[in-house]
Amino acid sequence: MTDDSAMNRLSSMSGRLFIAAAAFLALAVLAGFGLFAPESTLGQIFWVLASKSTLSSTLRLSVPIVLAALGGIFAEKSGIINIGLEGLLIIAAFAAIFGADVTGSLWLGFLIGIVASTLLAGVFAVVCIEFRADQIIAGLAVWLIALGLAPFASQVFYGGPNTSSVGTFDTITVPTLADIPFFGALFDASPAVYIMFLAVAASWYVLNRTTFGRWVRAAGENPKALDTAGVDVSRVRYAAVLLSGVLSGMGGAALAINIGQFTGNGPTMVNGKGFIAIVAYLFGNYNPVGALLSTTLFAGLDAVQLRLQTADVIAVPDSLVQTIPFVAVIVVLALVGKTRLPEAAGEHYESGEE
Amino acid sequence: MEQAVHLDGITKRFPGVVANDDVDLAVEKGTVHALLGENGAGKTTLMNVLYGLYQPTEGTVNVHGETQQFDSPRDAIDEGVGMIHQHFMLVDPMTVTENITLGNEPRKWLGLTVDSDQSRKQVRELSERYGFDVDPDARIEDVGVGVQQRVEILKALYRGADVLILDEPTAVLTPQEVDDLFRVLEELTDQGKTIIFITHKLGEAMEAADEITVLREGKNVGTVAADDITREELAEMMVGREVLLDLDRDPAEPGRSILDVENLVVEDDRGVNAVDGISLEVRAGEVLGIAGVDGNGQSELVEAITGLQLPDEGTITYDGVDRTTDSRRERIEAGLAYIPEDRQERGLVMDFDLVENGLLGSQHAPDYSSKGRIDWDYTRDHAEEIIEEYDVRPPDANAHAKSLSGGNQQKFVVGREFARDPRLVVASHPTRGVDVGSMEFIHDQINALREAGRAVLLISSNLDEVQSLSDRLAVVYEGEIVDIVDPERVTEEQLGLLMAGEQPDAAPTIAADGEGHQ
Repeated sequence: MTDDSAMNRLSSMSGRLFIAAAAFLALAVLAGFGLFAPESTLGQIFWVLASKSTLSSTLRLSVPIVLAALGGIFAEKSGIINIGLEGLLIIAAFAAIFGADVTGSLWLGFLIGIVASTLLAGVFAVVCIEFRADQIIAGLAVWLIALGLAPFASQVFYGGPNTSSVGTFDTITVPTLADIPFFGALFDASPAVYIMFLAVAASWYVLNRTTFGRWVRAAGENPKALDTAGVDVSRVRYAAVLLSGVLSGMGGAALAINIGQFTGNGPTMVNGKGFIAIVAYLFGNYNPVGALLSTTLFAGLDAVQLRLQTADVIAVPDSLVQTIPFVAVIVVLALVGKTRLPEAAGEHYESGEE
Repeated sequence: MEQAVHLDGITKRFPGVVANDDVDLAVEKGTVHALLGENGAGKTTLMNVLYGLYQPTEGTVNVHGETQQFDSPRDAIDEGVGMIHQHFMLVDPMTVTENITLGNEPRKWLGLTVDSDQSRKQVRELSERYGFDVDPDARIEDVGVGVQQRVEILKALYRGADVLILDEPTAVLTPQEVDDLFRVLEELTDQGKTIIFITHKLGEAMEAADEITVLREGKNVGTVAADDITREELAEMMVGREVLLDLDRDPAEPGRSILDVENLVVEDDRGVNAVDGISLEVRAGEVLGIAGVDGNGQSELVEAITGLQLPDEGTITYDGVDRTTDSRRERIEAGLAYIPEDRQERGLVMDFDLVENGLLGSQHAPDYSSKGRIDWDYTRDHAEEIIEEYDVRPPDANAHAKSLSGGNQQKFVVGREFARDPRLVVASHPTRGVDVGSMEFIHDQINALREAGRAVLLISSNLDEVQSLSDRLAVVYEGEIVDIVDPERVTEEQLGLLMAGEQPDAAPTIAADGEGHQ
């Protein structure tokens, strides 16, 4: 038993370490080309990678994914698998723009986005906890409802799937630090990027250091143990799911306000970010910091593929370049091996049942 | 003496069932009190009433001389009553400390943050006060069952329990861990705690308890001092009739060889030879017992013979036909019945009803199905026959396997396997976790098979069982057969030495024909 669990922990670690090592090695090779043969193709790729604008667009792309992933962590750690993150992002994105348009304040719009997402998460929580619905189906319903509702509302209020433009947050620039090469991007970013970093730190602290975090973990691992210890499992799960709504709401609102507009064609502007968020927190093994790092990997590759398309350094068709982040997701998932799900994730719990 | 707990005229009715019928129970402070009874006698229900999980239909609960109304376990805990369930309520990936303090964490910084130093200190102090050897920082999933149980006890003590209820505490423990547990109970009563433990094992009740209360069919049959009663008297109180703890039977008249195992080698998951060159033979009309400390290759031997795992070397022959690499289906069709050691894991599908469970293993047999369609009427009749013949309770073929008690699950598995009319039976721990009445019944069935000329391979860690049922007894140690002895003449001391891998002088070795071992 001891050996097995230790081995499992080791093998799941080694997959992650392998990916980290491979990524580092690839970077080192590219850096070598960049420094000694800046004109070569690989050298040019390095300078694309190492540019400040790549980092800043990585961070921008990361915001909605990381925030939704944090929300997913809280919900799933408490035992409710929330695959409706995509829907929460969509509803928040529209509500934020609509709110900002109506109130004339971006920050009020941001808040309204959070409220909308939290309300939808609340419906999801009631359906799952009170009415014992299947969490996967309920989660898909959340996505489909949002996918239909947001463009429809846009059609009603703006006469088309896209809303009008409301403007974007001003970036916050820290003097001097912003001038550092590459890492300067960290100090010259939209408020949403700072909110993301704060949310990661706060989530880690809440999960690992507070009583609430401990109860969330117990509710997802062995709800009966928590129940017999005198804590109401349903209340903990409600709180965790609502929190996933708040966090996803921030993500969706930040995504829309970053562009200044909601676009509702096809998969909408959210375009699968909620699902990537699920991959990110699984790859990050339910650790908020892990989710941040894995998101930056995906978002970074996305930023790189966008830059590679425009920089035109390699003679590969754009449509192939576009697949880089998705191929990376598949490779990463295959290498990570199994992530340990919370024991009671997806299971309904009713106090007093045998 | 002061009474810690006094239950007065407790009756608990469920729709259609009276689980407890006017039960009185008085437990003195600072003693160990055993609540003894067969499966389904109402022991756990009575304790759930005391713990506030159920409210009594009639009667009153008195704790420390005061009448109490417990609406939930929370109320019971507040009055110092703690219960350790049979299935532990622990969060595996969390540490011992986190589990013990769960829901009552010491806090700091405006109550926002868990004070881990304080928690660890409290747990360490508590653990030392009662002489528990528990590492506060170990993860639950990394420690053994015995330690997990101690964590559960500490959890109750941390919440201020004076009265501890333990539900079948020994069911999951090794004999060594049982001794440790009894020492812990002694330490607790020395410090004024009161223990009530639920059990269906006579020996344990007599060994660990000061007083024993026997429940039968929901009624209190009597409370006796453990020192003033014999095993036979207790067994009679439990079952309500005389129980034959020892079997009388005719000598074996073994016929031809049914199972022949030659030089079998089976590797375990880690690539170690768990079975290391075992040869044995089981003949028609005899029971070959396998004794040994658990984990000496018994599981792998059984898996190879029953076809759950292919051996790495050696041959397995049923009735003269080589079946070393046959599938499970071919083996079942060749007349193999198998009672697995873990009925919930391998014997039954817990979410299936008894009709579906009764079909398992027979789904290809012509009576049960044709052209891929199952004859459910026939299958239902078959399940009902098993239920009737083997006295499975409740007698309802639509009941899900998980709703049955352990003893009744086992009776159903035994019934299903024996109903195949097998030529060869492999029975692995057939009475583990089963009450006395069912145990006697299963033993009778095994004897009946032997009388009918079937071959039985019996694996058990219960020495009484293998000794009384076997005609020949093979002792295994580290994947090898140390010796095959006459179970009637071998002494417990000699068996103990053999199980430790040593060959005592004057062991009643049987030199059987065709054995690969000298």
